[in-house]
Amino acid sequence: MGRLHAEEMVLNMGPQHPSTHGVLRLKLRTDGEIVSHIEPVIGYLHRSFEKHAENLEYQMVTPFTGRCDYLAAMGSEHGYAMAVEKLMGIELPERVEYLRVIFAELQRIASHLVAVGTFGLDVGAITPFIYCFRERELILDLFEMASGARLLYNFMWIGGLAHDVPPGFVEKTYEFLDAFEKNVAEYNQILTGNKIFIERTADIGVMTPEVAINYGVTGPPLRASGVNIDIRRTQPYSIYDRFEFDVPLGEGLQGTVGDSWDRYWVRVREMEESAKIVRQALDQLPVEGDVQSAIPKRIRPPQGEIYFRSENPRGELGYYIVSNGKNVPVRVKMRSPAFSNLSVINEIGQGFMISDVIAILGSLDIVLGEIDR
Amino acid sequence: MIQSLANWILSFDILSGMGPSVAWGLALFVTSALVFAFVAANAIVLVYFERKVSAFMQVRLGPMRVGKFGTLQTVADALKLIQKEDIIPRSADKALFVIGPWTILVASVVTFAAIPFSDTLLAANMNIGLFYVVSISSIVVLGIVMAGWASNNKWSLYGAMRSAAQIISYEIPVGITLIAVVAVVGSLNLQTIIQAQGGTGNLFHWIPIPLPNWFIFHSPFLFMASFVYLLGATAEINRTPFDIPESESELVAGFMTEYSGLRWALFFLSEYANATLVAFLVSIVFLGGWQSPFSTYHGAQLGTTVLTGFLLLWTLFVKLKANRLSIYPLGLGIILSLSAWMFPGFAIWLSSPGLFWMLMKVGSIIFLLMWFRWTFPRLRVDQLMYVSWKVILPLSLLNLMGVAVWMWLTGEIQF
Amino acid sequence: MTAQEIYTKLSGKFGDRILEFMEEGTQNPTIHIKPQGSLPIFEYLKSEETLQMDSLMNLAGHDPEAESDLVVIYHLHSTELDHYITLKTFTSRETPKVDSVATLYRTADWHEREAYDLFGIIFEGHPDLKRILMEEDWEGYPLRKDYVPAEFYRGMRIEKEK
Repeated sequence: MGRLHAEEMVLNMGPQHPSTHGVLRLKLRTDGEIVSHIEPVIGYLHRSFEKHAENLEYQMVTPFTGRCDYLAAMGSEHGYAMAVEKLMGIELPERVEYLRVIFAELQRIASHLVAVGTFGLDVGAITPFIYCFRERELILDLFEMASGARLLYNFMWIGGLAHDVPPGFVEKTYEFLDAFEKNVAEYNQILTGNKIFIERTADIGVMTPEVAINYGVTGPPLRASGVNIDIRRTQPYSIYDRFEFDVPLGEGLQGTVGDSWDRYWVRVREMEESAKIVRQALDQLPVEGDVQSAIPKRIRPPQGEIYFRSENPRGELGYYIVSNGKNVPVRVKMRSPAFSNLSVINEIGQGFMISDVIAILGSLDIVLGEIDR
Repeated sequence: MIQSLANWILSFDILSGMGPSVAWGLALFVTSALVFAFVAANAIVLVYFERKVSAFMQVRLGPMRVGKFGTLQTVADALKLIQKEDIIPRSADKALFVIGPWTILVASVVTFAAIPFSDTLLAANMNIGLFYVVSISSIVVLGIVMAGWASNNKWSLYGAMRSAAQIISYEIPVGITLIAVVAVVGSLNLQTIIQAQGGTGNLFHWIPIPLPNWFIFHSPFLFMASFVYLLGATAEINRTPFDIPESESELVAGFMTEYSGLRWALFFLSEYANATLVAFLVSIVFLGGWQSPFSTYHGAQLGTTVLTGFLLLWTLFVKLKANRLSIYPLGLGIILSLSAWMFPGFAIWLSSPGLFWMLMKVGSIIFLLMWFRWTFPRLRVDQLMYVSWKVILPLSLLNLMGVAVWMWLTGEIQF
Repeated sequence: MTAQEIYTKLSGKFGDRILEFMEEGTQNPTIHIKPQGSLPIFEYLKSEETLQMDSLMNLAGHDPEAESDLVVIYHLHSTELDHYITLKTFTSRETPKVDSVATLYRTADWHEREAYDLFGIIFEGHPDLKRILMEEDWEGYPLRKDYVPAEFYRGMRIEKEK
């Protein structure tokens, strides 16, 4: 019998696919079920955010930032507002800072709930998805109460907030926190310790710290590999240095350090830590303060440039803003965390099966809106 | 049963002129229609049941608008699917594309001919009943591979190949487990298997807890065998945690991707027919089929009281843990046991075998299957193969030998 | 180390490939370097004991105004020693060529592709320089200040916003 010639098959997980978290195309070269090369093709959701920003005044760019990372819009707006405020040298009233932290951390919980829920969905567990979204509804109710919108807010204006939070907001947030802390135990019951879930995610897509740093991976995937870098701790911005919270790291509890289970586990723990931060911020929230007092009449930053980074739920969100003294920016570059997080998938996904590639993609938690901008 | 139906037809003066063979033919036709009607009606009920069960497990309500509590939802879905455009991809293999779903459905429905619904309701009393059911239900693989190949779609092909590998691998431990039961009974006839499970006896022959003589309580080996069979059967019917072939999040819909409208409804129908078949087999072989768990009416009274006791404990447990008072199960238990004590006729009916008990057991197993689906993530295809070949195959062989040794120890067989 | 010290160290080693050190007009002190032959500078930044800049946070293209040079800006960070530095290179508009650092920092792989896609800056030494956000056969570099939006793409007319 002659030699069997086995060809590699090119499989296209096309732009439309239930598990690619958006319009992402993955070109897989497979030998049977084992994947030998993954090439992500992006750009299907490119809406030229950066070009738009060059034609809009600074305050008009804020809604656009939310639409890039639509699952963590508060975080995007927060980062942009802080970058411009630093460029202009604006000092914010205490109440604004505390409220911003509360919203940013609530947004982190909401975003991680989506990540955890859809990760369970990717490996086949359909019920935890519904449980996660049940909690997320409570958070979206809070956001709607404060800003009027559930998903894309235009709330964190440069120099303050759009308006103050209505009465009853603080009580409702406390209620949410009490309910949430009990419900996190449910996710641990149904997903974290589940033998089948562990089999599907432990030792899958192991990312060593060197690979992670070299590829520019930030956020929960970086911390799951054991690297203790959280911008809220290493380069504290806003008032994060006033709160006590742990930075969860991956320890390889169910497999190797830096596998998909660790990335999932870091997110679950981060949700608990964010709940702690919100509680502390609510306790310390100053009652007096005008949230609009520091908003300048004309936003015209002096000539200069800045690169400001903040900790988004997905990782390091950086804004590189260049100003030439006019009221329209010259350049706004959004350094999105998911962009670099996605680029590592070829390195960590080789040699695994197609089902594992989906698990790895889910554990990286990408949002195509911010990858393509 | 066909013969008795034929006799019944001939007993009418008007129809007696038709002659025995014509009557027999008519009875055959009516029986087949009844079997098919059962399968179809069963699918309609199960679709609604599954949607409601999954909804309640996910803290939501499920279908609520079409009919009271959404009961007419499946009818609406069926009507929608029937009027859809029949799309066959241009580059698909037309003959196989069309035949595939029908093969699966026919294979599933035909096995119901050998299933005893009660001591008198049985379409075909075959001496090789169990063998017939297992072998005909294997034809499903053919249909799946036909469907996946004919779709001319890499994703469907993946799903079909995975499914074929999965079903064929799990046939073996499932078959060996069933042989363990056949060794105890000595016959492949499904009615005989059920009839051998009548009466009450001890748990595992020696532990003096009075339990019905079902094979699940026969010996630790058959107890393990029932779980092995349930696991293997879940894999046979492509349900989570073994639903890789139709894994929604990976392969869109696996081998069913290119099917739309009525053809897709056929797949759905056959999936629920298979699930029902598996539930029937578990109930027949391990849970005593149409035998009642109580053998006398006293037993029925005592049994319902014990059940109420358990439900009381359960209600207390739920109240302590989740701070919710669920009175419906307890209320049902109290009503049942009170009726059993106050109305001996009811107790007698409870303790007599029949269709009611068969359907109760089948329903519980189907509920169990649905519970699995909405709780567990799915196994990867190589893990699935690992479980089949390296875990449950040795277990089923162990069961077979263990059952033989057990029967020698308890004196059921002599060498 | 402060940015000034890093500048002194670099200009001591690389001489005239380091152009100047800017602290005015920017919130992050920036070192300007020449576009060609910049790879050894980055290798030095990454591997040298006292510098250890192992994390490239951001690599962006920039076009200040219609006739000016194109700019590539690098933001580097050391995870071990926790210091930051920004580098900038200027390259001509007609033949924009910059050394690629993609072999050194894998982050730069996609970021340089994006700078090429939107500005037209060619990164020499990049393993696979092709468009990443726009279509592969798009003509023109959209984020340049003198970019005129195309009228047709593959025979389809592109509607202008009113």
